[in-house]
Amino acid sequence: MSEQLIQQLVNGLLIGFLYSLIAIGLTMIWGVMNIINFAHGDFLMLSMFISFWLYTLYGLDPIFSIPICTGLLFLLGLLIYKYLVSKVMTGPALAQLVVTFGVSIFIANAAVLLWTPDFKMIEKPLLTGTWSFGTIQLSIPKAVASAGSVLVSLALFLFLRKSKTGKAILATEMNRNSALLMGVNTDRVNALSFAIGSALVGIAGAFLSMYYYIYPGVGGTFGLISFCIVALGGFGSIEGAFIAGILIGIVQTLGGYFFDPAYKYAIVFALYLVTVWIRPQGLLGW
Amino acid sequence: MRGERGRGLLFVLTVLLSLSMASAGVAADKVIKIGAVYPLTGNIASTGLDCRRGVELAVDIINGKYPDLNLPLAKDAGLPNLGGAKIEIVFADTKGEPRNGQAEAERLVTQEKVVAMIGAYQSSVTKTASQATERLKIPYVCSDSSSPALTERDLKYFFRVSPHDAIFVRDQFNFLRDLEKARNVKFHTIAALYENTEFGSNVGKQILKVAPEYGYRVVADISYAANATDVTSEVGRLIKASPDVLMHASYITDAILFTKTFKEMGFNPQGITTFAGYIEPGYLPAVKGDGNYFVIRSTFALDLAKRKPLVAKVNELFKKKYGIDMSENAARSFTAPFVLADAMNRAKTTEAEAVVKALLATDIPGDQVLYPWIGIKFDPQSHQNIYAQGTLVQIQDQNYVTVWPFDSAAAPVIWPFPPWKSRK
Amino acid sequence: MGKFTPRQIALYVVVLVALIAFPLVVKGTFPTHVMIMFFMFAMMGVAWNLLGGYAAMFSFGQAAFFGIGAYTSTILLMNYHVNPWIGLVVGGILAALTGAAIGIPCSNLRGHYFAIASIAFAEIVRICFNNWKFVGAAEGLSLPLLPESLGNFMFHSTKVPYYYIMLAFLVLSIFICWYITVNRGGFYLRAIKESHELAKGMGISFVRYRLYAIMVSAFLTAMAGTFYAQYILYLDPESVLILPISVQVVLVAMLGGAGTIMGPVIGAVILIPLSEYTRVWLGTKGTGVDMMLYGVLIMLISAYQPKGVWGLLTAIGKRAK
Repeated sequence: MSEQLIQQLVNGLLIGFLYSLIAIGLTMIWGVMNIINFAHGDFLMLSMFISFWLYTLYGLDPIFSIPICTGLLFLLGLLIYKYLVSKVMTGPALAQLVVTFGVSIFIANAAVLLWTPDFKMIEKPLLTGTWSFGTIQLSIPKAVASAGSVLVSLALFLFLRKSKTGKAILATEMNRNSALLMGVNTDRVNALSFAIGSALVGIAGAFLSMYYYIYPGVGGTFGLISFCIVALGGFGSIEGAFIAGILIGIVQTLGGYFFDPAYKYAIVFALYLVTVWIRPQGLLGW
Repeated sequence: MRGERGRGLLFVLTVLLSLSMASAGVAADKVIKIGAVYPLTGNIASTGLDCRRGVELAVDIINGKYPDLNLPLAKDAGLPNLGGAKIEIVFADTKGEPRNGQAEAERLVTQEKVVAMIGAYQSSVTKTASQATERLKIPYVCSDSSSPALTERDLKYFFRVSPHDAIFVRDQFNFLRDLEKARNVKFHTIAALYENTEFGSNVGKQILKVAPEYGYRVVADISYAANATDVTSEVGRLIKASPDVLMHASYITDAILFTKTFKEMGFNPQGITTFAGYIEPGYLPAVKGDGNYFVIRSTFALDLAKRKPLVAKVNELFKKKYGIDMSENAARSFTAPFVLADAMNRAKTTEAEAVVKALLATDIPGDQVLYPWIGIKFDPQSHQNIYAQGTLVQIQDQNYVTVWPFDSAAAPVIWPFPPWKSRK
Repeated sequence: MGKFTPRQIALYVVVLVALIAFPLVVKGTFPTHVMIMFFMFAMMGVAWNLLGGYAAMFSFGQAAFFGIGAYTSTILLMNYHVNPWIGLVVGGILAALTGAAIGIPCSNLRGHYFAIASIAFAEIVRICFNNWKFVGAAEGLSLPLLPESLGNFMFHSTKVPYYYIMLAFLVLSIFICWYITVNRGGFYLRAIKESHELAKGMGISFVRYRLYAIMVSAFLTAMAGTFYAQYILYLDPESVLILPISVQVVLVAMLGGAGTIMGPVIGAVILIPLSEYTRVWLGTKGTGVDMMLYGVLIMLISAYQPKGVWGLLTAIGKRAK
C-alpha cells in the first residue's frame, strides 16, 4: 500500500513537472500581454512533430532536437505576434480572446492535412527505460524531462530578475503604462514575451516527444489543463505556474488512484474553481 | 437594369433545369446510389478513411468482373437481375457528431436520392443516422458499429452484419474457459478497465454482467477518460488489485498510453485481453514490440488466409489499390455493400419494402464471407446477423495472429503474458 | 439603440417575412436543417451576448446550460412522462439556477479568469454527466417517439414545424435581449463592462446585475438545448456538453459583432451554413480544409475587423448616408 502510494506520488510529480514546463510559457504570455494563447496546445503538438521529423528524416535524437524546436517555436511566436496578435492588442478584449482560437483551429487542421491524423511515435530514443528503486519505478525520459522543467523554470526566473530585457518584461507585466513612461519599448517586449512563451512550449514538446505518442490532436487536454494551471498559479506568475503545475499533477494522480479515474480531471477543474473562489487572483497572483 | 436581372434569373433557371435533367439521365443509366456516412474529418478521421477504403473496394468488386472471387455478385458486372446496374456510393462526412449523422443521412436520401445507407462507425452516429433512415423508410445495413443497443430498437429498416460488444465480451470469457481446459490452469480474478465514452462503458457493463456467470470475481472496475494525459494512477490501481486477467476496452490513444505505462510500471497479469484500440492500424507502428502478447477481439485477421484463400485474394486487391494491408476496420466495412447488393439483386428492385423483405431472407454462406463465420442471416426481430461472431487475435512478433477459436487458430496463444522485465 | 428608423423597421419586417416564407419556397430537407441550425446557434449567440457582449463576462461554458436544458426535458419526458414544453421551462429554470450557483462565487472574476472558470465548470458538468448512470452516462438517451404534434413537441414527417418553432424562439430571444438592453438593466450592464469602479460609484449592484444576465442567458441557452433534444431525438454528453459547442457560440457572437442585438444573428448566418456546406463539399475529401478556412476567417476578423461583420455593415451604412 505505502509503496504504491509513494509510486503514485512520484508519478504525480513527474506529470506535474511536465505540466509546469508547458504552463510557464503560457503564463508568460498571459502575464505580459493579458492574452490567453488558446493555440498553446497546438504549439506543443507542432514542436512534437518537429522533433519527430528530425528523428525520422535525419536520425536526430529528440534530446538534441531541443534547441531546434525551441528556435523554430520562437520564430513561430514572433510571426504570430507580428501579424496577428499585435493587431488585436488595442482592439476589444473579446477579439484578443478569440484570435488565438483561429490560430488553434488552423494549425490543428493543417497538421492533419500535412501529416495525416495517424499516430506516430519516436521509435528508439536515447533516453528510454526505467530506473528501479526497490519496488518504485522511475521512467528515465520522464525524470529527465522533469529535471529539464526545473532547469528551464530556474533559467527563466533568473533571466527575468537579472537581465535588462528580463527586467523590462517584468516591468511591463506589472504596469504597462509606467513601463512605457520609463522608456520600455512595450511592443518589443510583447513580441519577445510571445516568442519566449512559444519557445518554452517548444522545449516541453521536444521532451514529451521522447515518450509520448504524436498526432494532430495531442495538444488538446494538455492545453486545457495548462489554462487551469496558469489561472490557478496566478496572473503571469512563473513561480505560481510552476507550483500549480506540480500541485495539479499530484492531485490528478492521487485523485485517480484513491477516488475514481473517470473523475480525475473533474477533480482538477474543481480544485481550480474552489481556489479562484477563495482567491480570485490565483495562488501567487497579485 | 430590370431586364438584365430577368435574364439572369432565366439563366439560373436554365442551369437548374439542365442540372436536374442531367441527374435524371444518370438515373436511367442504371446506377444504384447507396449513401455512406463516416467520420472523414475530425478526431477519428483516420478510422473513417480506413472504413471508406473497405467500402470502395467492395464496390469495385461488385461492379467489375472478378470470376475467381467467391463473393456475392463478384462474377458478374453489376447486379445481373437489375440489368447489370452498377453501385455508386455517395460518401458524406459526419465529423463524428450525431447531429451530422442525422443531417447527412437525410440529405443523402432527399437530395442525392440514395436508396440505401451504410456506415457511421461510431455507434452514437449510427443511432441518429439510422433513426433518420427509419423515418424516411430507407434500408440501412451496418457492418461497423458495435453497440448492442443498435439492434435492440426493433427498427424495421436497420440491419447489422457484424458482431456487437455483448458478443465480443462473451467471446473473451469463452476464450478464458477454453484456455483453462486446454492448459489446465484456473483463473479466479478479472479486472475491467474501460474508457468512459459509449463504447467503453458498454463493454465494461457487459464484463461486470458476464464475469460471475463464468465464476470469475471482478477485483477492479476502472473507467477512465480516453483523452487522459497520464494513466499512472489507473495502472497503480490495477497493480494493487493484481488480477489474473485484465480486460481492457480502449480507443487508440489510450491503448498506446496504457501499453507504455504497463511497461513502465511493470504491470504483469497472466494475460491481457482487449477491445478495439489495440487493433487500430495506428497502434502497432506507434508501440512496436511493446504491443506483443496482447490479445484482441477481432472479426478479421490476414492470417485467416491460411484457411480462407478468399482473404488473401481480397487483400491482394486491397494492397494493389491502396498500397497497404487491409485492416480490421476496412474488412468490417467491406461487407455491408455486398449484403445490400445481394438483397437488391434478389429483390430485382431497389424499392425499400422489397429490399427489406429480401434482406430478411438473406442467407449468404460462410465461404462467401471474409470472416470465419457460418454465414450471414438476420434475426427476424432484432435484424442482428445471427452467425456473427468474433475471433481473438494475439500480437506475436508484431503481427496479428488468430489464436481463438482454437480450431481456426493460426498459431497457439502465448500465455501467460511474459513479464516486461524479461522482454527486450 | 432603442429607436428604429422606419427604414430599419421595414427592413426587419421584410427579413422576417422572407424567413417565414422560406420553407414554402425551398422544399429540401437539408436546407431546412441548415436554417434550423442557423436559428439555434443564432439564439445561443444572442443569449451569450447578454453575458459577453454587454457585461464582458466571456463565457466559454454555454454548452453546460445547453446540455442541462436538453437533459432536463428529456429525463422528465422519459422517466416521468412530463410534456417537453413543461420540461423546457423546468430545464430553463434549472439552468438559470445553476448559472446563479456558479455566478455568485465567480462574480469577482474578470476577463480571462471568468473565461477559464467557465471552461472548467462546463468540463466538470460534462465529466459528471458522462459517468452519471441516471442520465444514461456515456450511452446517452434516445427519446421515446411520441405521435407528432405541436403539443408533443415532436414531428416525424417534416422539419417545417421545427423550423417555425426555432424561428419563434430566436425572435423571442432577440426581443428579450433588446428589451433588457434598452432598459435600465442594459445601461447598468454596459456601465459594468466599461468600468467596475465607475459602476460601483454609481451605486449599481454589480453582483446582482451580473447574476441577472447569467440567469437569463442560461435560461435561453437551455431552451435551445431542449429544442435540440426534441429535434435530434438522441443526446449524449459528446453531442451537447462539449467545449466545441461553447466555442461555436462565442465565435458566432464575435464574428457577427458582440454587444449588438443583431450581431450574433449575422455571425450565425455566415458561420453555420458555411460549416454545413463546406462539410458537404469538402468533408468527403477527408482533409480538414474546411476547418482551416474557418480558422483563417476567425483570425482575419478578430485581427482586422474586431467589431465583427455587423460593425462593418453599419460602417458601410453610415458612409452610404
